[in-house]
Amino acid sequence: MGLRYAEDKVMIMLVILIPVIAGILVPLIPFKKRSHMEIFLEALVILNSILVWNLLIHRPESVFTLANFTGNLSISFKVDGMSMAFAGLVSALWPFATLYAFEYMTKEKNEKIFFTFYTMTYGVTLGISLAGNLLTMYFFYELLTLVTVPLVMHTLTREAILASRKYLYYSLGGAAFAFIGLIFVIIYGGTTDFILGGVLDPEKIGGRTNVLLLIYVIAFMGFGVKAALCPFNSWLPDAGVAPTPVTALLHAVAVVKSGAFAIIRLTYYSFGAEFLKGTWAQNVVMLAAMFTIVYGCSRAVKETHIKRRLAYSTISNLSYILFGVTIMTPLGMVGALTHLIFHAVMKISSFFCAGAIMHQTDKHYVHELNGMGYKLPCVFGVFTVSALALMGVPGLAGFVSKWNLASAAVESGNKIAYGGIVCLLLSALLTAIYMLTIVVRAFFPVRDFDLKRPEEEKDPNWKMLVPLFVFTFFIVLFGLYSVPMVNFFSDVAAGVY
Amino acid sequence: MYYIILSIFFPIFTGVYLLFRGEMKNRKNLLTVTGVFFAISAVLVILAICMAGNNIFTLFCLTDRLPILFKIDEVSVVFSIMTIVVVLCAGFFSFAYMKHEEKEKRYYGYYLIVLGVLIALCFAGNLITFYMFFELLTLSSMPLVLHSGSREAVMAGLKYLFYSLSGAYMSLFGLYFLERYGNTLTFSAGGVISADMAAGHGGLLLGICFAMLIGFGVKAGMFPMHAWLPAAHPVAPAPASAVLSAVIVKAGVLAVVRVVYYIFGVSFLRGSWVQYAWMILTLTTVFMGSMLAYREPVLKKRLAYSTVSQLSYILFGLAVMEESSVTGGLLHVLCHGFIKAALFLCAGAIIYMTGKTRVEQLRGIGKEMPFLMWCYTIVSLGLIGIPPTGGFISKWYLAKGALSSGILGFDLIGVVILLLSALLTAGYLLPLTIQGFFPGADYDYGTLKKKEPPLMMTVPVFILTVLSVAIGLFPQMIIHYLLRIVEKIM
Amino acid sequence: MSLVRNFPAVSILLCLFAGIISSGLKKRAAEYVNTILIFVAGLLSLCTLLYILETGQMFVYVMGKFPAPWGNEIRAGVLEAFTALFFCIIMLLSLVGGRKKLADEVEEGKTFLYYVLMDLLLASLLALVYTNDLFTAYVFVEINTIAACGLIMIRQNGRTIEAAARYMIMSLLGSGLLLMGICMLYDLTGHLLMSNIKEQMKWVYLAGHYKIPMLVTIALMSVGLAIKSALFPFHAWLPDAYGYSTVSSAAILSSLVSKGYIFLLIKIIYRVIGFEVFYESRIMDVLFAFGLMGMIFGSISAIRENDIRRMIAFSSVAQIGYIYMGIGMGTQAGMEASVFHILSHAATKSLLFIAAIGLTEVSGGSRQFIELTGSAYRNKWAGVAFTVGSLSMVGVPLFSGFISKLLFAQAAVQNDVKMLPALIVLGISTILNAIYFMKTVIRIYTPVEEHKYGSMTFKDMKLYVAALFSFIILNVALGVSSQPIVDLIGQGLAMFS
Repeated sequence: MGLRYAEDKVMIMLVILIPVIAGILVPLIPFKKRSHMEIFLEALVILNSILVWNLLIHRPESVFTLANFTGNLSISFKVDGMSMAFAGLVSALWPFATLYAFEYMTKEKNEKIFFTFYTMTYGVTLGISLAGNLLTMYFFYELLTLVTVPLVMHTLTREAILASRKYLYYSLGGAAFAFIGLIFVIIYGGTTDFILGGVLDPEKIGGRTNVLLLIYVIAFMGFGVKAALCPFNSWLPDAGVAPTPVTALLHAVAVVKSGAFAIIRLTYYSFGAEFLKGTWAQNVVMLAAMFTIVYGCSRAVKETHIKRRLAYSTISNLSYILFGVTIMTPLGMVGALTHLIFHAVMKISSFFCAGAIMHQTDKHYVHELNGMGYKLPCVFGVFTVSALALMGVPGLAGFVSKWNLASAAVESGNKIAYGGIVCLLLSALLTAIYMLTIVVRAFFPVRDFDLKRPEEEKDPNWKMLVPLFVFTFFIVLFGLYSVPMVNFFSDVAAGVY
Repeated sequence: MYYIILSIFFPIFTGVYLLFRGEMKNRKNLLTVTGVFFAISAVLVILAICMAGNNIFTLFCLTDRLPILFKIDEVSVVFSIMTIVVVLCAGFFSFAYMKHEEKEKRYYGYYLIVLGVLIALCFAGNLITFYMFFELLTLSSMPLVLHSGSREAVMAGLKYLFYSLSGAYMSLFGLYFLERYGNTLTFSAGGVISADMAAGHGGLLLGICFAMLIGFGVKAGMFPMHAWLPAAHPVAPAPASAVLSAVIVKAGVLAVVRVVYYIFGVSFLRGSWVQYAWMILTLTTVFMGSMLAYREPVLKKRLAYSTVSQLSYILFGLAVMEESSVTGGLLHVLCHGFIKAALFLCAGAIIYMTGKTRVEQLRGIGKEMPFLMWCYTIVSLGLIGIPPTGGFISKWYLAKGALSSGILGFDLIGVVILLLSALLTAGYLLPLTIQGFFPGADYDYGTLKKKEPPLMMTVPVFILTVLSVAIGLFPQMIIHYLLRIVEKIM
Repeated sequence: MSLVRNFPAVSILLCLFAGIISSGLKKRAAEYVNTILIFVAGLLSLCTLLYILETGQMFVYVMGKFPAPWGNEIRAGVLEAFTALFFCIIMLLSLVGGRKKLADEVEEGKTFLYYVLMDLLLASLLALVYTNDLFTAYVFVEINTIAACGLIMIRQNGRTIEAAARYMIMSLLGSGLLLMGICMLYDLTGHLLMSNIKEQMKWVYLAGHYKIPMLVTIALMSVGLAIKSALFPFHAWLPDAYGYSTVSSAAILSSLVSKGYIFLLIKIIYRVIGFEVFYESRIMDVLFAFGLMGMIFGSISAIRENDIRRMIAFSSVAQIGYIYMGIGMGTQAGMEASVFHILSHAATKSLLFIAAIGLTEVSGGSRQFIELTGSAYRNKWAGVAFTVGSLSMVGVPLFSGFISKLLFAQAAVQNDVKMLPALIVLGISTILNAIYFMKTVIRIYTPVEEHKYGSMTFKDMKLYVAALFSFIILNVALGVSSQPIVDLIGQGLAMFS
């Protein structure tokens, strides 16, 4: 153990700290040219991703305690199956998102501050995914809110400031309630370590089951704020005022998925699915998730701003994950994890398309997109693929994850979960409506459309296109060949990792 | 073996190729290339059918439990032959027709993709494969609907899309449950749901069966989800309408056949509430479709309503679950396919030559283009069900099945409604013939000019007409083949 | 008899003595005397603390060796010594931080008086902390009140005079009630020394006599001290007093003076009345209820405030609510949490006051939010410090506020009845805190287009920055390694009873 342990501990610290330090260095180093900064950041981000993957592949088993907090509470890290899934996702996406951001940010001001926080977020997100106990995760969770606020208010318009305030209030408020859950886990579990099956001690609980269930619901809602659970979702569309790389990576993946990730941890690793299954608490949270699924989609249909529409779509899709979580069976967890990963790829891809459209043409609303498919064929091609994937067309990623969710619901035999399947499908239909209307508009404009080509309205350069194509490739790959990944998730849910 | 894959993916890839390549130098090149693609596809399909044997071909697995696999059985043969004949006829018809439309290349691209997807549907060996191509069918045929790019067409296209998708999702709902409770989604004649599987959640299984019937029924224009059909079919270019109305809607029928006879099984469904509810829905649709067609002045719309009605003949036959009714239903698949394609192509030819769309504008049309109108009249008679056309035979079997089913009430009412609807069919199809050939005394014969459509148009119509009559004249062989299917699945 | 045993008494006398000499000194000299005095007092407290920790038990120092009941005693336990040390640190830092501003706010000729009052204030605080005699306590309460009034009023403008008058009236009302309580206690027990009273009380209580008088006594004393420490709804005097006085006064008043009274109340609970007796009287529940209300209404008032100083002052009302909630929980854990919060709030609130002055300084002296926009860029250090203070108040991990929250919540869970209200209010109050503090943070980091005001450089304010940094370090230290301090508090409370 000895040396190896120390080495791994350093590695874990490194992957969290490298991005943070790199971020802090950006404004301090006087780069001569912009491209130097790009190379510096991209190199560090890629290096970090390699380190993360290295860590995940050889997967140290022990728990690394960094510092003792109070009593038996400590800041500690652990690489288990869940961490592998989330950290793997984040570290795979980040280099591409950074590349995309370089190009996107050419039209925005205060780049350096942007990249500082953007890169720091990477480290913090890894912190969440590698956290070994609830307290550590809570710590990084709060930190995540703080480092992402400057990104939301980046444009410094009145709108952005209001949005960032709202984001901050919602997130901190949610954390405050999640905190209550944390306390109960400390008191009634004696430890906050993540152990599949939960840590609650039945002897300590005694007759207080209902109180604990209530607290679970409160904590679920608290973490649910980040996962944009209705009625705590209104920050997410507003936060869309941030530059697109932020909306795409953070508000479709890193931040919101952290909420979902935290809920998975809370449900399966702290409270324990067995304790919750079949109780009124399960019904409540499941109904909330189901409602959000439908609500998010319906709002998306009404929304005409592209990014806000996608944000509402995110709201709905996040609740797919939550729905999977609330089934409270290993299969449900598999479904949730699958959608967590697949949705990330699909949504980041569609957001990047939206960003590319805004960057190249300065068009923000759906009705301005008539015939754009001929001007930006690559972007809209990718967008179409991601739209179809989000709808759940077989052969693309979305189908597999929805399949896993739905079959978990069927397998659970829970009548409410059956209703959840209906919600999933209703939402799929609404997804088709709000995504395909864009596609149809872009590729099949009404006849009087004028195809004169303004010069600047064309496909973006390689820095934007490469991430788009890579994500599309993965959407198709996951759609056609998801077996190994799903098997891995099954192992995670079964506690193999 | 590999012909299955080739016959499916050759049209799809050539379609995609057409979509992505740059504009051709002239129209002739495009037509040549497309024509060659059509021909090769047809040959591949025939080869696939001949070489198939009884093999199952697994392409790959979506997940552990969801293989994408293909298998050619008798039902596949019936549907695929009908598909390839109609699609080719309409395709060659479009060579002439599409002259006056824009973006031909895009049209042929999607047309080929649709062809490939339809073949894939016919050959699909399990429900998940079927579902996958079912969605692709919706997505790839939508561009055909909104091809003209008018506001109306785009709205109709979206309507088509959303109706179809909601149908697909309803059936997907069933898929989720079937995969779990039925343990397999592979088609096997007679159904895969056994009694012990159904034990305990029979009610649930019936419910999802009904959901799937409604869901797949959307594509087949079954009440209550039929509203998209009269909107979408007429706005497409005429050959596309022909394909939509004659073949693509049959995908819904094929789906129902697969679900009812290859997954749930007759023994599970017979006598259940699902069967009754389904019969009520189909009969409602039959009657309603005919009534609406009768009231409709625009020719193509009228034909679309007629499709609504005629498809539910087929579905009714399937719903009765009697040997002869199912035979009749399957036979009507063929008849209706050829006839409706011919009718739409006629309507297209008329539009192409005269630009007129409403029935009352078409007085004397039979004098202008007698050959075309003769074809029209003959197939109309077929659809009404007058011997010796195919329609007569299929309706005969349908009625026979309904009467022998012994389901109280439905046997008589069903037959009455079928006859009533046949009457209405005559009422909405024949006026065109009558006005066309007998324009009345005040018709101005002076301005009359013969303007028969070009051969590229009349020949496909003629072929289809001949086929529809041939079925009526020599039904034995086909009936025999169909009875073999029916024996297996009952 | 070790030399160290004299230190508490010596430090009190030293303070009184310094006050007397300073009245004859010039401004500069008084300042030096004061600084040295606080330093020495702190040092003496530290020695006392170390001594007690070494011996492991508290000691009683009898003034002039007169035995009870005539004599006057000083009692020093871990908690007393530690609190005294902490108070000295906070006072020193607050004074250093506000020194520069003091020159603008107080007339040249009166500066020495300011320090005289400070000396007296420290004397009274130390006495309140150390004394073992109720009547002595009362005397120093009065000295404290008068000194505080002077400190408010010394900045001569209309508002401060009004505020001082208000403060005076409310405070005297409080002292009056306290005095009545002491009188009744004397009647009941015939003693003034705390330990003697407690012994007698036990007898009286066990015998079951004087139930009503005892209740009235407890109520009078609690309410009296509650008024003085500005528990909701007796807080009306507070915003003006803290809002308009000089910055050091505000910092010291909010973080020390009100805390001194609370400390006295805790002492009375443990050492005069006895925890069990107090618990039985149900006064606790009343304090608990008012504490909760204070948490909510204090924050709501703060949200409505447009003036940064008054906002921070209202926040104090909320924070005092926290402390009373902890006391009202009626458990050892609750009491520990309260004491910890006394420390953590003292460290944070004075930091906020001092940081706020730095921000208003670079905004033309205006304290309105609208003028403060972008001030964090003009005074970077103050901006950082204010952010840290805010985060601590909101309860973000790493800072002291988080530990307070953690302790409060953990304490709440142990009380089945008060658990839910306490936790829910804790959650809501966190959100409210987040709203007004984060709003301010975002405001001060929002850049302005036109630069109306100049900015401050490091050179202008070395001492100020040093004070801020010490505060930040103190805060982080409390937040990161809280365990030893929590242990100390536990030990101290154990010595109380």
